[in-house]
Amino acid sequence: MKAMNRRKLISVSAVLAVASLAATAVPAHAAEVGVRSSEIKLGMTLPMTGSASLGYNKIPGAAKAYFDYLNANGGVNGRKITLIVKDDRYVPTEAVAKTNELILKDKVMALLAPLGTANVKAVASSVNPAKRGVPVLFVNTGFSGFADTKKYPTHYSILPSYQMEAKIMGKYIAENLADKKIGLLYQDDDFGSDALAGFKTAGTTFAVKVPYASGSQSSATAAGWITKFKAAEVDVVILFGVTSASLYMLATAAALKYAPQWMIDSVGGDSTTLKLAGVPAGVLYNAIGFSPVPATTDLTDEYIKLFSEIYAKAVPGSAFDLNVLLGMNSAFMTAQALKAAGLNPTRKSLMAVLNTNGASLFNSALSPVGYSGTSHVGLTGEWVGKYSPTGDLLPIGGTYTTYITDSGAGAVVKSTYKRPAMPAKGLPN
Amino acid sequence: MHKLKSVHHLGFFIVFGFILFLASNRVDELRVYQGASVAVFVIAIASLILLTGYSGQVSVGQGALMAIGAYGAAVVRNELHVPILLSFFVAVLVAAAGGALLGAAAARLSGPYLAGTTLALAIGIPPLANQFSILGGEQGLAFDVGNPPASLGEDFTKYKWFFWIAALAALISMWLLSNILRSRYGRNWRAGRSNEVAAQLSGINTVRSKILAFTLSAGIAGLAGALLSMTIGTVSPSAFTYYLSLILLAGAFVSGISTLSGVMIGAVVLVGIPEIADVVANRMGSSENISTNLPGFLNYALLIVTVLFVPNGPVEQHHARQARKAAKKKIKSLPKPSMEGNT
Repeated sequence: MKAMNRRKLISVSAVLAVASLAATAVPAHAAEVGVRSSEIKLGMTLPMTGSASLGYNKIPGAAKAYFDYLNANGGVNGRKITLIVKDDRYVPTEAVAKTNELILKDKVMALLAPLGTANVKAVASSVNPAKRGVPVLFVNTGFSGFADTKKYPTHYSILPSYQMEAKIMGKYIAENLADKKIGLLYQDDDFGSDALAGFKTAGTTFAVKVPYASGSQSSATAAGWITKFKAAEVDVVILFGVTSASLYMLATAAALKYAPQWMIDSVGGDSTTLKLAGVPAGVLYNAIGFSPVPATTDLTDEYIKLFSEIYAKAVPGSAFDLNVLLGMNSAFMTAQALKAAGLNPTRKSLMAVLNTNGASLFNSALSPVGYSGTSHVGLTGEWVGKYSPTGDLLPIGGTYTTYITDSGAGAVVKSTYKRPAMPAKGLPN
Repeated sequence: MHKLKSVHHLGFFIVFGFILFLASNRVDELRVYQGASVAVFVIAIASLILLTGYSGQVSVGQGALMAIGAYGAAVVRNELHVPILLSFFVAVLVAAAGGALLGAAAARLSGPYLAGTTLALAIGIPPLANQFSILGGEQGLAFDVGNPPASLGEDFTKYKWFFWIAALAALISMWLLSNILRSRYGRNWRAGRSNEVAAQLSGINTVRSKILAFTLSAGIAGLAGALLSMTIGTVSPSAFTYYLSLILLAGAFVSGISTLSGVMIGAVVLVGIPEIADVVANRMGSSENISTNLPGFLNYALLIVTVLFVPNGPVEQHHARQARKAAKKKIKSLPKPSMEGNT
């Protein structure tokens, strides 16, 4: 028995040693990190497991679905795109460790679509992609700070900022719900303070504001929120939080038969995710919602049609929703930027494309992105819709009316942006 | 005799530190970063071995004590702009104060009750940061130890700087700990763990001894927390989940819960497992399901294997085997004639 223990110990250590040696194998020399004659490597960390992964864990599959489609159609100037995905479980320590692996071991050219403000901030501070010159494309958070090119020179936002969304909500309220009593549920951190700043600019006043601490959301806390909204006798309740906050609020309200006019933010309002998690479609019906991209059920939209076909083939049985669309859209924009970055793209030439031409990249959203040499603001607008009896968000009146604005004191105006036709087969041209 | 031993140890730690210093100049940046993580885990696991292995108090909440230290360090660093060394001292003091409070309660509890209490802390303490704006809510606080001194040269990376700080902290705390564990206090803890009544009969105040162990362990955990935050540049509740407390416990068992000398094993395993899992997952075809779930599986599998085959940890097992061998040799070499004479 003792001898067996020792043998086991020795063989386990041998396996460990071999495995760690294999892990340190040095990749072949390349002109630019992550770019080889046949391949461009990109990396992504996001929550694939754990409570925060709900819905968002479909993003890598969506991005890979688009890249596989692109690779099957010749890739980017003959190079196929490989996306390496790592699970950070929404923990900053893990996000840093995994990003280090992506940059230092896997030697990716750029990072794609990291998620969560706290994680992106921790990575920016410790790994410091800016100092290493590594582009961080299409950050999946609405925190307006990442658009600041002085602080985050290599980060590119994509989602409309929470401030923008709050201002657009404020505009809608002023025009349509001016005589109503409004209540606000918001996350008590940068997410919420961005929203409050936006509402302040829009001049929205609230009968009651209910903050919640991130991670505290549950059926029990939701019952507490409802008590506060009921006491203030509000007509409209705005849910300005993450998906799980909307989820508990709507599910608990359904159980308690509390039915105000709901208004739900875009990051917390993906109907597929909410319905899958148990919110009855009837509760969502008539709620007011917002989105920067076309309705995911709108098959008359050329992007939705093509992307949903590609996704259905790549990930059979998985519903095409907002997270999937955003993931594929980011992959689509990445492909165009890489193609425009020259025959031998470098990190520098990639960022130069985004800084000078980023706003003219094709993208499925109904507003342009605001990239320039001095700003890395992502999408600048959203349309207002209502949830259908089946719980899908559709534009009010059947046509998309997009409002655009900024993260500062700028006005909210109806967009005149006409989205250019999709390039042939949805490939970079 | 006791003094001589500490001096011996000091020599060992100095030589080991010198080897680490040489190594840090020879490996790539990722390994240096991982080295810093190993050093952080060494300290954290050591705090758990001291508490659970030596004083016999089970803690499933070491992550909460790490969080207290990390927040303490970040707040004094950000608000009072104290030097980095001082902020680490504050981390130790704040966490030790928390540990003393907890220890006073813990001394009345034992076994599963104590484990339950500490688990509650692991889950309950980090989210408290959301309640106080000075602690930065869910996004947390920045914790920047600053750039390495310019005199170290242009090529001296920030990760190497982290590694030096963390490795030095680990060496110093291991040296202190190994000496404390050999001192009167260490003997008191072991006596209390083995048989509390017997220890009391020999004049040991076991309650005081337990509180002291908790305080010291918390202080060391606080240092580990501050160092962990240094490596990621921020302090936030989500960095100190109860999962952290659980894997530390797993690491302590893999190291050998009752001996400090195996502490490196657990730390290396904790840092290395995700990477090994990646390699294995890639060989098996890069299914995300495999690569995301494999690290946890390997951690727990290793824990189970350890508990089944080497319950006291590989180092203790090795020592025990050596001792048995030596004993056998001794018996063999004993003179036999007298036995013959008797028959």
